[in-house]
Amino acid sequence: MSDAVERQKKDLSTLNQDYATKYGFSDPVDYFHKGARGLDHEVVEMISQMKKEPRWMADIRHQALDTFLSKPMPRWGNTKLLGEIDFKNIYYFMKPIENQQKSWDDVPEYIKKTFDKLGIPEAEKEFLGGVSAQYESEVVYHSMKEDLKAQGIVFLDMDSGLREREEIVKKYFGSVIPATDNKFAALNTAVWSGGSFIYVPPGVDVKIPLQAYFRINAENMGQFERTLIIADKGARVHYIEGCTAPVYSTDSLHSAVVEVIALEGASIRYTTIQNWSRNIFNLVTKRANAYKNATVEWVDGNLGSRLTMKYPCVQLLGEGARGEILSVAFAGIDQHQDAGAKVIHAAPNTSSRITSKSISKDNGRASYRGLAKVHKQAVGSKVSVECDALLIGDEARSDTYPTMEIDSEKVRVEHEARVSKVAEEQLFYLTSRGLTEDEARLLIVNGFMEPFTKELPLEYAVELNRLIELEMEGSIG
Amino acid sequence: MAQLNSDYTIPDLAPELQRGPTWLQNHRRTLRQKFNDTPLPPRGLHLWRYTDPAKFMVGQTADQAASASKFKALIEEEQKHLAENHLSGLVTDFTGREIKALGVDKLSEQGVVIKALSDAVESHLDLVEPYLYGLVGSETGKFEAMNGALWNDGIFVYVPDNTVIEQPLHLLREAAGSGSAQFPRLLVVVGKNSEVTLIDEYGGGSSEKGADPAYSNGVVEIYGLEDSRTRYVSLQRHEPVTNSYLTHRAKIASGATMLTVPLAFGGALSKQNFGVIMAGPGSESNMYGMLFGTGRQHFDNHTLHHHASGQTHSNIDIKVVLRDKAISAYTGLIRIDEHAQTCEAYQENRNLLLSSGTKAETIPELEILNEDVSCSHGATVGPIDPIELFYLMCRGISLEVAQRMIVLGFVTPTLNRVPADMRERISRFVDTRLENV
Repeated sequence: MSDAVERQKKDLSTLNQDYATKYGFSDPVDYFHKGARGLDHEVVEMISQMKKEPRWMADIRHQALDTFLSKPMPRWGNTKLLGEIDFKNIYYFMKPIENQQKSWDDVPEYIKKTFDKLGIPEAEKEFLGGVSAQYESEVVYHSMKEDLKAQGIVFLDMDSGLREREEIVKKYFGSVIPATDNKFAALNTAVWSGGSFIYVPPGVDVKIPLQAYFRINAENMGQFERTLIIADKGARVHYIEGCTAPVYSTDSLHSAVVEVIALEGASIRYTTIQNWSRNIFNLVTKRANAYKNATVEWVDGNLGSRLTMKYPCVQLLGEGARGEILSVAFAGIDQHQDAGAKVIHAAPNTSSRITSKSISKDNGRASYRGLAKVHKQAVGSKVSVECDALLIGDEARSDTYPTMEIDSEKVRVEHEARVSKVAEEQLFYLTSRGLTEDEARLLIVNGFMEPFTKELPLEYAVELNRLIELEMEGSIG
Repeated sequence: MAQLNSDYTIPDLAPELQRGPTWLQNHRRTLRQKFNDTPLPPRGLHLWRYTDPAKFMVGQTADQAASASKFKALIEEEQKHLAENHLSGLVTDFTGREIKALGVDKLSEQGVVIKALSDAVESHLDLVEPYLYGLVGSETGKFEAMNGALWNDGIFVYVPDNTVIEQPLHLLREAAGSGSAQFPRLLVVVGKNSEVTLIDEYGGGSSEKGADPAYSNGVVEIYGLEDSRTRYVSLQRHEPVTNSYLTHRAKIASGATMLTVPLAFGGALSKQNFGVIMAGPGSESNMYGMLFGTGRQHFDNHTLHHHASGQTHSNIDIKVVLRDKAISAYTGLIRIDEHAQTCEAYQENRNLLLSSGTKAETIPELEILNEDVSCSHGATVGPIDPIELFYLMCRGISLEVAQRMIVLGFVTPTLNRVPADMRERISRFVDTRLENV
């Protein structure tokens, strides 16, 4: 036991670099195209024309911009921090290179170095089915294993997806999250660029995960990727994304929209580890439609950013559909992780489970905000929600705002939440067996997070554990 | 007659504003201004998501008109309890006009003050002034300000230090009928190391279908001083065409305990907000509530447990039973302040749905601002467990009786906190509501 802790501590010492040196570097770049700051119809038209999009998409963008401008800022959540976003000072579109590369060697040196530092090519070699890497607004590198292509799986960046599979994109784009859904979804719809497009044909099981990596490099950059994942009848796919950004003194905005569609009997798992630097506003809309007997799972980790507002949602639209959301948040110094989950039961015999774990440390604030809605027709449905929060430090804050709206009688809904500090009895138990207090505390925190980490692919689990240990440093002891 | 009017402002010359001594008139005028300046809460706003605030915007205070027959029968029944020594006192409040304290002579000898609030502000200014508006005053919302400006009359209860009142004190209020508006108020101060049980009952209102509803907008302020022990039962059993709004705040000092039992059965629309502030170390608050909704009744309930001091303990258990097309929304907040360490707080909300048109919303919230706490909440929504029904029916019990047993079992933790004489009446309320489910 103590060996394991020793090993962890050793890992810790070799990992003794903070975010600034590990992900916090920025590259001096001559951008192929750097738009002007601020947002109007001209910028939207420019983005659309540079991408040589069909007219219908340009129309959607313009309409969404009007929606964005007319919608007020949210009046709930951390309105003080939201008020600090200066929409006029943001670059809405930047293009680092002229054309997307298929071979890693052709990617410009500075971008390659960035992603090398982040470990993208190794990950691809060892494990992943396909990799897409996005730098600012555009996807710079994309590759996919040949056998996946042969099965008819489409894994493209969203811009290429629109070019090559226009009919699918036109059918599903905005069908799960319309631009009118909320102010930030409208913003994304107006200026979206990049993101992933995945289509898995009926009955195909994608055995290895597909992965994307998003990176913001420039200051005051807004990143608005748009992801659309469709699993046709009986198909299965696991998609993973990660994100980082350098540390600047002024804030950047990340506002993605992710639409996921699981048709009859399909199964989709979507895993995110968000580790944006602590000056990023991360305001993301993620929603999935699960049809008859389909399964959608969100595995959602929030470690970085200044303010995150993200509530992955599953709409259970067909009988027997299942939704599962596993969410973990770590709020350190000056961070507010306002995360949560939503499930909408709109068909009979659907089931959902939400598990949320949060740790607030120093003056960090973690909020769980959730909704479980059961419509009248969803008889025989089951909902289970569990929230656990751990507080470390006197100034830490934890909030729980679950909402349950039940319009049907023949259902089972359960919600539970617990908030506590590291229990004295547990510490006593472990220290009485010879562990130091530091070791005991680390062990307890790791145990607290385990239901989440065990759902991650191995290398992500390792990375997450290290990040948490890094965050825990100094608080231990 | 009083009618709904969302743009209503209280006129400068409203007669209520001229009532009482000068300091009270000043308060009333400030709150009138607050009411007039505060816009109607927008529907998206946190505590107004499920209820339309316009339904409480009664246009002007009305001439009261009420039938006294039901009320008289109840008073007679309670006077029997008084004679048998099961009550220590009975205060009747008939549409806010005639407040009478019955059988309280013995208590008066002990220094206990039980009076109409309008009398107490004259006779016991020193006891009233430090407390009135202290918990529900100018800092609160539009409807609380309305009551603060317009309360026509209220009840004042003062228990001196080191005084134990063994039997419950029953406050019985009867609202007037269709088109009436009342603004009842209650101020209770429980002295150091004293003990009291209060039953605060709100009945009456309108039962005329199709006519204007009766309106009631009440405020309750309770202070539990050091080491005091207070039990407070609030029973809302308005007639079916009545809209009622109630804000309750209690504050307890170090070592004090407070038991709050909110019970709601009546009215068309009922919005109640119960809150206890634990202001001193060692204080403890327990809340055991229930509501039973039938027909198209709409309940919107809030609870607050505010841990403003360390070493405080709280527990909430709210039970909701709904049938027909009744709706319940419950929002419960536990807040633990930054410096309030080693607190324990628990919250539970269970909803039992007996028929298919019901709706239950439950939002148990936590705001925890420091680490040294132990806090949990749980909520469930579901029908009667068919396995439990099966078990009982296997043993020869009819479906109807089995259902009744299960529902009574469900609300027993709350009923057990109600004084014995009252418990029978509450069980009867539950029984009549279980007919022909």
